[in-house]
Amino acid sequence: MRSFLMILVSGSFFMGCSLVQEVKPWEKETLAKPIMQFGGLHSEVTKFESHVYFSKEASRGGSGVAGGGCGCN
Amino acid sequence: MFKKIIYSLLFSSVALFALESGESISKEVQEQLKLKADKVYVIDFFASWCKSCKKELPLVLNLYTDKIVEVIGVNVDKKKEDGEKLVKDLNLSFPIVYDTDKKLVETFDPLGFPAIYYVKDGKVLHVIFGAVKNIDEVIKEDIKSIK
Repeated sequence: MRSFLMILVSGSFFMGCSLVQEVKPWEKETLAKPIMQFGGLHSEVTKFESHVYFSKEASRGGSGVAGGGCGCN
Repeated sequence: MFKKIIYSLLFSSVALFALESGESISKEVQEQLKLKADKVYVIDFFASWCKSCKKELPLVLNLYTDKIVEVIGVNVDKKKEDGEKLVKDLNLSFPIVYDTDKKLVETFDPLGFPAIYYVKDGKVLHVIFGAVKNIDEVIKEDIKSIK
């Protein structure tokens, strides 16, 4: 009886995980928008990070994201 | 009893698999895409928001205009106008199917975008997912090996 309950509880836990719907490659229209990049469009976070990078590495660039979050390789 | 419960829990969350090489597509889909027998088709799924698609489509168009392969584009934009604008901007002359209700793309269920399927006689021969450099050369080579 105890093992049955254990199976039932763990089973329902994993069933709950399956409720999270996967975003399919053709549904990534919103994710592909520039605003969806980490730090947003013109956020201070991005500016600050690039400033720190430039100060430490004495180089800049290469921080852009190629592609549009469309599930590409 | 326990076995039944365990099996039902395991298989209740199994997702549908994507259409792969060697699998057949339904008559209904073939009719929707207007596929003819004995011809190799490149079915290219694309969207206006997909940057890689925009890079690849002109190269695929060249293959179509040079009559190397038959191409059918499937646009999966939510709004048909977005797809039509892209088609107009890139001067895509091959047949385009606007899959606004997502029925076609859900049938093929590609794992990446852009997605290219080689289809002959209702059978998927090969699949390419995601951005590929020099896609035109890749398709040429694939067509040679298929023919």
